[in-house]
Amino acid sequence: MPTSAGRALAAFLLLAACAALPVRAAVDDPALRTRVTTLDNGLTLLTLPDPTTPAVAFQMWVRVGSRDEARYTGLAHLFEHMMFRGTKRLPPESHERLIESRGGRVNAYTTHDYTVYHADVAPDALPLVIELEAERLAHLAIDEATLASERQVVLEERRLRTEDQPTGRVFEALLSLTFMAHPYRVPVIGWRSDIERVSVEECRRFFATYYAPNNIVIAITGAFDEEDAIARVRRALGRLERVEPIPRNPTREPPQRGERRATVYFDVRSPILAMTWHAPPSGHPDGEALDVASLVLSGGRSSRLYRELVYEAQQALAAEGGYWELADAGVFYAYAMVRPDGDVDRVERLFQREIDRLREVPVPEAELAKAKRQIEVGLLRGTATAHALAARIARDWVTFGRIRPIEERLAAYRAVTAADVQRVARQYLRDEKRNVIRLVAPPPGVSLEELDAPAAGAPRAEPR
Amino acid sequence: MRVEAAARLQLVALACALLAGCALLRPAPAWERPPPPVAEGPVVPQERLHRTTLANGLELLVLEDHALPRLEVGLLLRRGAEIEPLEQAGAVALMADVMERGAGERDALALARAVEEIGADLAVGADMDSVSVELSGLSGDAGLLFDLLADVALRPRFDAREVARARAETQAALLREKDDPGALLSRHLAATLYEGHRYGLPVDGSPDTVARLDAATLRALHERLFVARNAIAYVVGDIDVQDAVAHVQARFGGWAAGEPPEPGPPPPAQTPPARRVVVVDRPDMGQARLALAHEGIARTDERRVAAGLMNTILGGGGFLSRLMSRVRADEGLAYGVGSGFAMRRHPGPFVISTSTRAPEAGRVVDILLEEAERLRREGPGQDELRNARSLSAGRFVLGLETSAAIAGALVELDVYGLPRDALDTYRTRLNDVEPEEVLEAARTLLHPERMAIVAVGSAEVLRPQLERFGPLEVVKP
Repeated sequence: MPTSAGRALAAFLLLAACAALPVRAAVDDPALRTRVTTLDNGLTLLTLPDPTTPAVAFQMWVRVGSRDEARYTGLAHLFEHMMFRGTKRLPPESHERLIESRGGRVNAYTTHDYTVYHADVAPDALPLVIELEAERLAHLAIDEATLASERQVVLEERRLRTEDQPTGRVFEALLSLTFMAHPYRVPVIGWRSDIERVSVEECRRFFATYYAPNNIVIAITGAFDEEDAIARVRRALGRLERVEPIPRNPTREPPQRGERRATVYFDVRSPILAMTWHAPPSGHPDGEALDVASLVLSGGRSSRLYRELVYEAQQALAAEGGYWELADAGVFYAYAMVRPDGDVDRVERLFQREIDRLREVPVPEAELAKAKRQIEVGLLRGTATAHALAARIARDWVTFGRIRPIEERLAAYRAVTAADVQRVARQYLRDEKRNVIRLVAPPPGVSLEELDAPAAGAPRAEPR
Repeated sequence: MRVEAAARLQLVALACALLAGCALLRPAPAWERPPPPVAEGPVVPQERLHRTTLANGLELLVLEDHALPRLEVGLLLRRGAEIEPLEQAGAVALMADVMERGAGERDALALARAVEEIGADLAVGADMDSVSVELSGLSGDAGLLFDLLADVALRPRFDAREVARARAETQAALLREKDDPGALLSRHLAATLYEGHRYGLPVDGSPDTVARLDAATLRALHERLFVARNAIAYVVGDIDVQDAVAHVQARFGGWAAGEPPEPGPPPPAQTPPARRVVVVDRPDMGQARLALAHEGIARTDERRVAAGLMNTILGGGGFLSRLMSRVRADEGLAYGVGSGFAMRRHPGPFVISTSTRAPEAGRVVDILLEEAERLRREGPGQDELRNARSLSAGRFVLGLETSAAIAGALVELDVYGLPRDALDTYRTRLNDVEPEEVLEAARTLLHPERMAIVAVGSAEVLRPQLERFGPLEVVKP
């Protein structure tokens, strides 16, 4: 994780620098009222009441993601599914059924860096949500039967979102091309072979290792009584025992020497072209300049990629670029859905021209101001619902160990200059460090079924 | 470690139990208590809501909310793609698209810059029953947001060059849909149920119908749709009501009253007349995307609340629903399965949809049909109905968390002429539905014996499994 001290210093300097900018009305950032409670067992609880909303958002962020998997890819995500498959006292699916039967919404997701369980409920259902969370953390039941059926559900999810979906295939190929060493190269949902083979024992070991109170941050926002909620969390979750802190994998991506390219065949009329470059991790002082570059490239119909690829050249249905930040590393990407009547080579040249322009010519003042304004308005949107607020404070806490005030973030964005954008473009978006993926229809005479068939004589199934 | 913690808890419990009355201090787990009855009562903050009607008949709704310095201004037109002739399907959607490409003094680029320089978003959208124009940004830019709204709504340019570009983009996007299994499924489902009616094509139309559209067609369509008496304006966010009314009056007060266009004709009352199976052949796919469907009900149907509860029990209620319980939780056959009514001005389809590994498609269709039949036969259990009420009421309230969502729900009522207090009375109406009404809804609205079955996937794998359900036709994407 990046050091928060360095980040705070940078933010302070940026705040000082922006004192000279025109004064704007201060934003009332509710996140500043977050109360942090640390239980004796290391569990962190963030509470932020707001009586004006009809909802309570409860989110449990566990510091484990696909990058922590040791042998079986997809284990973190498959395990997230198993968290809904019952406890010693409650049958499978009770968790979500009990919450839904009280009018709540409940779900979970897994990323490369963390796993998040979230519920949005009416205020009177908060005690139930807390007790259910405690119940599965203390008494989760995993057996062969529930794992066998959930494995099939996850394989369907993989077919649905990745295998039968051109965008899913591109994303998967993109990660493994970009990262040679870091486990970010593995898709969060995992490889089919591994999902098919994860055992009950592996799931139990994973649970015991990572689902410990000192590896968990809980955020509660919305309409609830703060003292009562803290007491309930303490009572329900305070007896879980901490484990030794778990060091994350030490792997760092080695510097890239030279461009990498890959082609993926799929049954498409509309090819997809994607490019990536390595960029710094979450919290790095260059992050804001890279975000501004993203908006210059793809912030609406007046942005560069839309103008050049979609509008002027009429080669793409959509084109965008962006900075994607993860805990250990970042990726800057550019992505185009090429028109069925378009030319992939030409789209790549047009992309390259826009990247060159970012490196060679400082972004004009009006365009810079526009990008920054778009970011500013977007930041305000993130505080509109209890759910969004809970996600924001929990993510900040898990990633930075503190909650970044909106004013601080606004100041950091306002301080970005055209020279900063040019500098980060030159530093990160180098041709020698470019990764290019093309997803296109297979050439005539090549069938996808043949490509997918196992090699003749090769044994397909291995023992578990 | 967890075992030890649990053991200690039990010791404490034992020690506690030895003390008279101490058991009272350890309440039963929250999940053993039944859910509370569904709360009733208003959900619209009347103290922040203001309505008025301008002299030309334009309705205006203002919802003040000063929590954030944000502002949304919009217009909703009470007719949509339903009014266009079938051979011009996609005209309203293309009109909406081109409205974002130049208005008033500004050409496409100048309009985009004006919007984006203030960090705002402009969205002109079309669906079957309505057209919307919305600008959202910061309240400090109120004047400009209203100016841009008026320009886009009242003075779109429809430059021939922009129409040509938008048309080519739409055609390319329609072709690209063939790459997307989900889009393929919707398109072929609509065609199977409503061939010859406007509902038989998506809002965007088809490559053939879009090819015929030109600037004159779009301009004429805009003139018919954009009249004051066909519109409701809304303003939500950090603004005082007097200012909001003054802004709207200044820009829309002189708008011609006009007459709303006639709604489109209704689709056949019963569709399909008999079971049909359509397989859209995508040999490369590992899954079969499945939809089972027939006619549903209109947005204004008197049975809509009972029908909604019936659907929640069958397939609309997440993990509480019968379909999710069987198909996902018990059998591991799908990642998701759901059902729902597309309630439009006229009855849109009722659809059950899921996706499963192709070799299991036949088994999954059996389960889906069986569950529809079982609900017709047995009706809901007491707990099922209670849970469905609670889930529906809960989702409804959570869906109204922001002022923008409340305003959106209120103007949607206006499109269909539904009562203005429909949000405030919804939970009472949910509670009032009798179990017999839910059973009646299942019996009159579900017809598993004649549902159309549409599948996207490998015809080679699907044909042998699906031909037993009815006459089967294999089509190209």
